[in-house]
Amino acid sequence: MAAADSPSAALRRRDLCSRGIRLAGKMRSDVIDLLDTYVERQGLDASASVAAVEGVPAAAAERWDEQTGTQRLLDNLAAYRAFRALLAQMLEEQREQLGEADAALGRALAAVLLQVSAFAYHLEELLRLESRGPPSEEGAGPPPPPHLGLFERKLRGLGVLRELAQWAVRSARDLRQLAKPGPGSSSAPSPAESP
Amino acid sequence: MFSAWNWVAHDLYLLLNICFLEVSGGLVQSCGHIIPESPVLALGSNFTALCILNESCLDFGNIYANQIIWKIKNRVVPKEQYREINRTVSSVTFNDTSSLATPLTCNILADGQIEQNIYGITVTIGLPPEKPKNLSCIVHQVSKLTYPMTCTWNPGRHTFLDTHFRLKYRWPQENFPDCIPKDVNNSCTITDVQFFVNLEVWVEAANALGKAESDPLVLDPIEIVKPLSPHNLSVNSGILPTVLKLSWENRISAAVMKLKFNIRYRITGDTNWMQVPPEDTASPRTSFSVQGLRPYTEYVFSIRCMKEDGVGYWSDWSEEKTGVTTEDKPTKGPPIWRIIDASRSPASWTVHLMWKALEPFEANGVILQYEVTVRAKSSLSSPPEKYSVNTTNLTLKLPNGTYEVTVIARNRVGASPPSVLLIPASNSKAPVKNVRTLPKDGKLWVGWTAPNSYVLKYVIEWCLVSNSSDCITEWQNEPGNVQGTYLKGDIKPFKCYLITVYPLYADGQGSGQSVKAYLQQDRPSKGPTVQTKKVGKAEAVLTWNHLTVDEQNGFIRSYTIFYKTIDGNETAVTVDPSKTEYTLSSLTSDTLYTVRMMAYTDEGGRSGPDFTFTTQKFGKGEIEAIVVPVCLAFLLIVLLGVLFCFNKRDLIKKHIWPIVPDPSKSNIAQWSPQVPAKHNFSSKDQMYPEGSFTDVSVVEIEADDKKSFSEQDLKPFDLLKKEKSTSEGHSSGIGGSSCMSSPRQSVSDSDEGEATQNTSSTVQYSTVVLNGYRDQTPVQVFSRSESTQPLLDSEERSEDHAGGGDSATQRQQYFKRNGGQDETNTDRPCFERTKQITPANEGDLVGFAQLQISGQSSQPLGIELEKNTQEAALSDVLQTSTEGQTVRPETVEGSLLSVDEMPKSYLPQTVRQGGYMPQ
Repeated sequence: MAAADSPSAALRRRDLCSRGIRLAGKMRSDVIDLLDTYVERQGLDASASVAAVEGVPAAAAERWDEQTGTQRLLDNLAAYRAFRALLAQMLEEQREQLGEADAALGRALAAVLLQVSAFAYHLEELLRLESRGPPSEEGAGPPPPPHLGLFERKLRGLGVLRELAQWAVRSARDLRQLAKPGPGSSSAPSPAESP
Repeated sequence: MFSAWNWVAHDLYLLLNICFLEVSGGLVQSCGHIIPESPVLALGSNFTALCILNESCLDFGNIYANQIIWKIKNRVVPKEQYREINRTVSSVTFNDTSSLATPLTCNILADGQIEQNIYGITVTIGLPPEKPKNLSCIVHQVSKLTYPMTCTWNPGRHTFLDTHFRLKYRWPQENFPDCIPKDVNNSCTITDVQFFVNLEVWVEAANALGKAESDPLVLDPIEIVKPLSPHNLSVNSGILPTVLKLSWENRISAAVMKLKFNIRYRITGDTNWMQVPPEDTASPRTSFSVQGLRPYTEYVFSIRCMKEDGVGYWSDWSEEKTGVTTEDKPTKGPPIWRIIDASRSPASWTVHLMWKALEPFEANGVILQYEVTVRAKSSLSSPPEKYSVNTTNLTLKLPNGTYEVTVIARNRVGASPPSVLLIPASNSKAPVKNVRTLPKDGKLWVGWTAPNSYVLKYVIEWCLVSNSSDCITEWQNEPGNVQGTYLKGDIKPFKCYLITVYPLYADGQGSGQSVKAYLQQDRPSKGPTVQTKKVGKAEAVLTWNHLTVDEQNGFIRSYTIFYKTIDGNETAVTVDPSKTEYTLSSLTSDTLYTVRMMAYTDEGGRSGPDFTFTTQKFGKGEIEAIVVPVCLAFLLIVLLGVLFCFNKRDLIKKHIWPIVPDPSKSNIAQWSPQVPAKHNFSSKDQMYPEGSFTDVSVVEIEADDKKSFSEQDLKPFDLLKKEKSTSEGHSSGIGGSSCMSSPRQSVSDSDEGEATQNTSSTVQYSTVVLNGYRDQTPVQVFSRSESTQPLLDSEERSEDHAGGGDSATQRQQYFKRNGGQDETNTDRPCFERTKQITPANEGDLVGFAQLQISGQSSQPLGIELEKNTQEAALSDVLQTSTEGQTVRPETVEGSLLSVDEMPKSYLPQTVRQGGYMPQ
């Protein structure tokens, strides 16, 4: 937290948080749109329930309000690194499956992938400001994709996007929590500040 | 000789070897090469090239580096730039590459005589790229999710080389593929960018001479977004007549960007936009109620947006949408005025009430009707009369008096406040003074001096004065506190307007004061047509008509009359515009003048048609002044002449009118008494046949001049005598001869001789000069004697003398007295002459009678007539006359009797016609 003491670091942190929140909001908006497109193009039922996908971090946290800021950042970073890998995998599969026939879906996936990557960068920067560098990505990535059938891959993709939408909400709340002035980075956010 | 051939052979061999040193496997190897090979050089830099000869070439002859010649195109590079490095390498140095050109060749001068190319290179000269400047980017939203970013930069100077630009961008942790411009070198568009992460953007320019990068631009693309404008704008009227509610949709997600808005609006047909205060629309929204609008007015709305914090760009204005506010009550009553026609009846008026339709912003809706109330002020007891009309005028017939007229406009919502007009019995109040006009800014300003009393308002009436149309009155109201206004109407230039200002008081009205005015004047459209009313010797009265109002185009300030003669200078006279007549004076008499007339307004003049007139030769009374004195002088001279003649009458008579002896007293008459008396009555025509007398002169011969008689003069008498003797016993035959029968005349003379026996002692001889008609032989000349002396001697002498000659020539002989008669037609026979004589001429009738009698009584006459065709013709005529009874026998006989009673003296028939009178 030493770096956070300087005014420029505080400004930088606030700026990163602010833009991270808005990026999370846009990411959620885009993922919601992408979910509709994905369900339609993949021939899925929007109401289909998807069981927890292996390798996809869950947004839900049992003691979310008790987490410290660093912990929140680390959890977020881990999740978004995982999403980045999953989305890259989905993009590759989508290209293999549909080729260039459905460029719009591919572009939307790529855009979300970029946002996930950008958000991960925000988190890494915030962790640097916390005087704690981001953890290495080695070993932090998702497990190698299991050999799945086409439908299962579609369902898995649907699970990834739904979970990402959840994470976007949670990340915004986490960053608002971090943006609050004072050392109480671990304090719970007020209900009014919830997205 | 051998040596020379040897040299030639050596040179050819050398040349072949230089060109084709070694041909192996189809490749041609040259004798050297240049380093560097096809370089790209910076403009203005120095450059050194090396030409390296192959060692193998040295074996074929004396080819060394010192024989190398460098050339640029076909121009030899100066040797000062050469340097021989060793025997196979020569270098050339250029201090400034701008002097270089392609190709640069290395040549060899074999044996100092034959120049041969060894190698050549292409030199490319250019500039390294400059650092791109002014890099800027903007993100255009093209759809809800698509945000391409376009960056532009200044590529710098032209490099003359193929220079590639690349737009590079990256996140701190991630690189993106470069954006390569297409067809341009100063902009590139990244198809999609992500917001909320700083993006580092820069431009790289590279060519063969180097590479340059612009300064990096670090930005979050969300800060440079130009969003799409809101769409689906709708306008709805609210409950209030001054409010319209706008609704729209934003096309950028609130998660991406929060927006603020600008709303602008204007009245349809107006060009000026009004804007809702920006602070009222500085927060995200999708609807807004615009207030403070006019009732029943159509408005046009448009909206735009940008990022709420003002970072970025405004969107374009949205499509325009219109909306109409609801109606409201009219805010004011219609302006009202009247025209009173009192000419039809002295006791009552025809009042034309007229009011103006309210302006839309005053009407606040559709005016359904007007309610007019007329109240007579003089009789308060009588109830007011009410009228409901849909038009803006009402004509009433009212007794003379004072009235109060009220007009109310009504629309769906309600009624307007009333407009009141007082119509007094007479305009007895003070009028305005000094009404004046002034064209200003394309409009006509009317000013006046207010009367001393308080004026409620003014009414300005005006109408276009024209010959072709009636004066249609227009009017406008002005408040009582102004003393000038612009006319609110379609005031046309070059047209005359009659403007009248009325002051309206609370209790009456002042009379109108008028003035004529033009918004803009021009030259008259034509000039006056001038003509003369009266033209004299030195003056001319010109008249013309005034130009019509439509032709004037302005106030006629003056007329100018231009007049000139054909070859003279033009004279101009300026005439007052009120005149229609002018007298030009000091003109030259009997001269053609051209006159024209110009009418002038303030803007210039125009000439009318030319008119020409000629001044008179004499002035008035001038002819009288000349003629009267001349006549008087003539009369005086005549009078004096008469008096003179009267006084000298004896002398004149002696010279001009000599006394003719009376033939009856002639002794000749006594000398030949045997001539039948009736023969004396031969007609004058017979006696004086019209022959070839062309001149008659009178010779006076004194009685004692007998001796001067020529014998020739007496020949006729001889002939007569001779014929007489031959026709003795047939004396009547002589008288019945034709008019040319001189013998009869001679007989007649003989008869006359009896009468002349008693005349005085003087004898007058007439000499008759005869000319032949054309080729006819002239008739012999006769002379008659008036001598009182007998001519017997001479006649007898001449008888012998003339006998042969005259008969031989068969000439007709005539005798004619000098009676002053013009008888010159020798062709005309006597009978024609007879024909010409009117029956009323008694003398002639007598002649006829004589002839008739002669013809009937003497047959032998016909024998002589056969010798003369004229005589024969005469005979025919005589017969015809008799048969035709042209002359009545009674008259003839009567005449005969009277003639018989006349004294047997020589008295020609002309006596009675004022002819020769014996004195």
